[in-house]
Amino acid sequence: MLTDPETLRYSRHLLLEDVGESGQLALKSAKVLIIGMGGLGSPAALYLAAAGVGTLVISDFDHLEMSNLQRQIAYQTSDIGAAKAALMKQRLAALNPEIRVRSINTQMSESQLSMELILADIVLDCTDNMASRQMINSACVQAKKPLIVGAAIRFEGQLMFFDHSKADSACYHCLFPNNDEQVLNCSNAGVLGPVVGTIGTLQALEAIKYLLGLPSGINNKLKLFDAKTLDWQTFAINKDPKCNVCGQIQ
Amino acid sequence: MKLFVNERVITIPADCNIEQLLTLLESPLKGSAVAVNQHIISRSTWTEYKLNEGDQIALFQAIAGG
Repeated sequence: MLTDPETLRYSRHLLLEDVGESGQLALKSAKVLIIGMGGLGSPAALYLAAAGVGTLVISDFDHLEMSNLQRQIAYQTSDIGAAKAALMKQRLAALNPEIRVRSINTQMSESQLSMELILADIVLDCTDNMASRQMINSACVQAKKPLIVGAAIRFEGQLMFFDHSKADSACYHCLFPNNDEQVLNCSNAGVLGPVVGTIGTLQALEAIKYLLGLPSGINNKLKLFDAKTLDWQTFAINKDPKCNVCGQIQ
Repeated sequence: MKLFVNERVITIPADCNIEQLLTLLESPLKGSAVAVNQHIISRSTWTEYKLNEGDQIALFQAIAGG
């Protein structure tokens, strides 16, 4: 049962046939792990907290810098120097006191990540580097946890969803198999705030849909966003039987 | 034969595979992803995947920013 304040808070969800009280209760009982509290994690965490996802575990080991504020919209100038995960926890608690938020302010080891995955229903990769992305993908494949990956630089965004609870799911490593790839990130290539915000927002949308039991339009797909034309391209990703990470999963 | 790479017409020798295409385009192999007709082609099959006349190739880089 939803409480009276919850019924009021989520009234615009309750009007939706695809949500209703049962959907809202599903969100309330859900646990989402969001890794990276930067330009992707800011809108993703804010939307999931606002939507009433009952437990959010948020992770980031960085401290807020002046150059983050151009796109990381959850933070304020007076926050500079503080740990982002702690700042975000405060922000989310102020936004929605009905939910639980736990913050992880240190860089997670593989074993810690595996422990966190046991508790999570779905994972959002909102990180900013290839090594973390590969580690999260590998851990999600092993733990059979669904993973929504977002990335953005310049005027480009990438969005994918892999439901690792399904044995035939492709994975991030099928697409980008080199762990040591030199890849572009926001610090070396630049990015417009709304580009990374668009992708982070869509990660939240896909997470909510998954938790409601609605089908994803991007399962085993990569969406490429061109922020100059606002065009999207969609590509199917098939599981690579020779993939070092998921190829042996039957 | 003619095919499309990121919507531009390119002429390449017949029987070209994906790795040869990237070499012709002087595009790095590492960090690249290739889709042919809206399907991602796994890197493990790039040397055996023969391209065809009129194929729509999308070539793009891994990005990690967030």
